[in-house]
Amino acid sequence: MVKEYQIIARNYDLAGHASSDIKRTLKSLNLPWDLIKRVCAASYEAEINVVIHSVGGYATFDLTEDAITLDFYDDGPGIPNIELAMLEGFSTATELDHANGFGAGMGLPNMKRSADLMELKSDIYGTHVHLVFFRSRL
Amino acid sequence: MKLSEVIKQFHCHVYTPEFAIDKEINYAFCADLMSDALMVLNSVKDDRILKESILITGLTTNQSIRTAEMLDMEVVLLVRGKIPSLKVIELAKELNIILLSTDYTMFNTSGIMYQDGIKGIIYNQQW
Repeated sequence: MVKEYQIIARNYDLAGHASSDIKRTLKSLNLPWDLIKRVCAASYEAEINVVIHSVGGYATFDLTEDAITLDFYDDGPGIPNIELAMLEGFSTATELDHANGFGAGMGLPNMKRSADLMELKSDIYGTHVHLVFFRSRL
Repeated sequence: MKLSEVIKQFHCHVYTPEFAIDKEINYAFCADLMSDALMVLNSVKDDRILKESILITGLTTNQSIRTAEMLDMEVVLLVRGKIPSLKVIELAKELNIILLSTDYTMFNTSGIMYQDGIKGIIYNQQW
């Protein structure tokens, strides 16, 4: 099963709708609670990152017999220092983001903690976050 | 403690009166930044804990409701007299989340709840 979602930059009202749909999909398939929770937390964090840090992008959701794969792509401006961004508490979010409950600096660390596999590529043209969750944990 | 008792204790305004308030509440967690909530609450080891929890927050945007949704939490309590917008109330109703507000501050709300036996959720909380 493959799904695709558009993510609009700075749209705080719609932020989370992709993750919400992913959650509904996984719940309807009666997948294990722990797996759903991990996928949704990571998905929500990744979606919010595209909303608050990029000029917009999209997400894909792929469910196979073995794994759930999420990919988040945006069109920049990219993460200047990935090493710093991976530190818990480091954030470049604005006051407006904080007022919307974002910018704790836990987004990428949360994704890493939740997913079984995480790959991150970023340059000024955009960022790609690749997250894999194995259905039976390795 | 029953949710109805919490509502009475904190003189809560109930924005979603269509949902039953006789459920049991045994845990709570406070955050204004939703990643903090996701990080700790996602580590919980038993889904019954989140089902019997309240998310206490001063964040009145859709994101407090979305975070509760992601975590399968059923109750969001807004503190410091914050009033949610209609779209936030509508989202809570759509997602079957009980939305409350109280004039109490976050610290006082937490302190009183703790005194009443409601436990704070910690990393890797076990049932």
